[in-house]
Amino acid sequence: MNRRLRQVMLPLALAASPLLAHANADVEKLTADPKNWAMQAGDMYNQRYSKLKQVNDANVNKLQVAWMFSTGVLRGHEGSPLVVGDMMYIHSPFPNKVFAMDLNTNKIVWKYEPKQDPAVIPQMCCDTVNRGVAYGEGKVILQQADSMLVALDAKTGKVVWSVKNGEPKLGAVNTNAPHIFKDKVITGISGGEWGVRGFIAAYNLKDGTPAWKGYSVGPDDEMLVDPNKTTTWIDGKVQPVGADSSLKTWKEDQWKIGGGTTWGWYSYDKALNLMYYGSGNPSTWNPAQRPGDNKWSMSIWARDVDTGKVKWVYQMTPYDEWDFDGINEMILADINVKGKPTKALVHFDRNGFGYTLDRTNGALLVAEKFDPTVNWATNVDMKSGRPQVVSKYSTAQNGPDVNTKGVCPAALGSKDQQPAAFSPDTKLFYVPTNHVCMDYEPFAVEYTAGQPYVGATLSMYPAPGSHGGMGNFIAWDAGTGKIVWSKAEKFSVWSGALATAGNLVFYGTLEGYLKAVRKSDGKELWKFKTPSGIIGNVFTYEHKGKQYVGVYSGIGGWAGIGMAAGLEKDTDGLGAVGGYRELNQYTDLGGSLTVFAIPAAN
Amino acid sequence: MHRVILAAVAAGALGTLAIADDKTPAVKTDLYTVVDGYKVDPNTLKGFRTWRSAACDRCHGANQEGLVGPSLVNSLKTLTKDEFKAIVTEGRLEKGMVSFKTSKAVMDNLDNLYAYLKGRADGAITRAKVEELKE
Repeated sequence: MNRRLRQVMLPLALAASPLLAHANADVEKLTADPKNWAMQAGDMYNQRYSKLKQVNDANVNKLQVAWMFSTGVLRGHEGSPLVVGDMMYIHSPFPNKVFAMDLNTNKIVWKYEPKQDPAVIPQMCCDTVNRGVAYGEGKVILQQADSMLVALDAKTGKVVWSVKNGEPKLGAVNTNAPHIFKDKVITGISGGEWGVRGFIAAYNLKDGTPAWKGYSVGPDDEMLVDPNKTTTWIDGKVQPVGADSSLKTWKEDQWKIGGGTTWGWYSYDKALNLMYYGSGNPSTWNPAQRPGDNKWSMSIWARDVDTGKVKWVYQMTPYDEWDFDGINEMILADINVKGKPTKALVHFDRNGFGYTLDRTNGALLVAEKFDPTVNWATNVDMKSGRPQVVSKYSTAQNGPDVNTKGVCPAALGSKDQQPAAFSPDTKLFYVPTNHVCMDYEPFAVEYTAGQPYVGATLSMYPAPGSHGGMGNFIAWDAGTGKIVWSKAEKFSVWSGALATAGNLVFYGTLEGYLKAVRKSDGKELWKFKTPSGIIGNVFTYEHKGKQYVGVYSGIGGWAGIGMAAGLEKDTDGLGAVGGYRELNQYTDLGGSLTVFAIPAAN
Repeated sequence: MHRVILAAVAAGALGTLAIADDKTPAVKTDLYTVVDGYKVDPNTLKGFRTWRSAACDRCHGANQEGLVGPSLVNSLKTLTKDEFKAIVTEGRLEKGMVSFKTSKAVMDNLDNLYAYLKGRADGAITRAKVEELKE
């Protein structure tokens, strides 16, 4: 629906301001054509939806491998390639190679492989993932691990410009995909476990010059917060945040190493000129060292793309005690919320609550558990917007050096970064989830610049008293906050979903299956075992009249690390039940792209 | 892994015996002293605290069983003390091992860290979380 709207609005926008927003017009034009997959989410709303329907619920059982490609790197492969016209842009984890492939010949037209200091590898502990490139105005934008943001000429692979975005020596590295909104390249930063102070930054697509930078925590001016104009949800209303909204929620200078990193997927609403993203956990993981709400870690943000100024912000998990890192994607959709047509923002947080907000002003509309086993809070109080924490599961109330047991979800969340999909046909969200609980023992830790700054020991295991698996793939009604259907998975679903007009939803599994299920009821219609576990995002495109579906396979990331989680759990024996431990019976490391199509009938 | 579990079972059995004999079974080496598999001397306890504060578990596993990084229960069976110290100090960057040269807490506790991990590899320390041995 929004696509149609944008197609109508595009010529008007161009006519009104022929000199402005060229880049946005370019990306907008490319994403409007479903033959391309021109952004990591397919569009600027983070919907991960395709109008293509040549492959559909009636013929998906005929889907076969069309071709495969190895990146030559055996680490976790997140994100997806992009397709623009006849070209596909394929990326890899560290060392962050980029291949430009001509889809007519499957020939590599150019390859870029940056030289990066290997010292960055251990700082990405525990995996060297990269979530893909962006495309706009004839440039391919790569956000390297060592924080260099690089623009490559899409035709030649030559570096057009490059700019340093962080300080890798202090643990400020990058894993996120850059996003192109309007004439800006937007990027974030990783390093919440190294005491990095998070920020989001905009660079001009044209030449890489810095446009603006807004921190997640600290003084108002450095966050680009206007105490009188920036709003939040207070006492059941949208109200100005007031002066020093972050500073007064931290003890002394802890905010300077306070986290709130920004390594997720961002979205953009052109009509509002706002971009949306989430900020991560406060540092350290030991809550005793940082009393206060730790604003604005764990928050949903709306910023003006031209200036970076914060329109509104909403904190989901004040005073985090579980590492419920709030970076997951914000999906923009125009849906009915409690019966009322709404310009909504929908977010599935690590903390296990699915949030629906009014994206124009940040009003809180729905906050419900999207996994029934979530137990750390009873509910979100709709007036204060605060989760009602259960004392038994409060690692702060139990204190340092006490092992708080049976917290659901685990630190990797009811959902991690793996992005969900929205289908405008069904108005439902399709969400890859984790079904994992944990024991969490915080302890005092000292900060040393450039060294890990964690401060908690965790052990994770499948949600007890459930189906024994560690994941579910669910359909969610964000207007009411209810699960429509839920499909149990043996392992966490760590792959980005894709919804299509062919009545299908695709997702990958950690064992390595790419699966197609029916949108209406989740019935599994097709699956194929790829070489390694899937943590990449499913994408689709059309070339020479044929629809293709593709996904990276290559296990890693936190999920891959979790392969052995709970191996020798010495507490209660839960570690022996199912669990990631069995993953090595299905898969090993890999690094390849598999592309599928329905063969021509002979 | 099997070995460690067996060791734990053995320690449990010894613990029971110890109560019966009114005697605490102890393992004493040049490196560490362990009672009941988890009560350790002050230096070994410092080694555990160093392990925890440096977040070694993120790569080597909460029980040293290995995740992205190798199992230290295995590695410390073959690594010499000098090799161990060199690796922790300089790192193995290509493999993802951090250099802890700039961490005073780790550098000041290299011997203690080695004692703790060696105790785990030897099977004398039967669980990752240890406590102070009260004389």
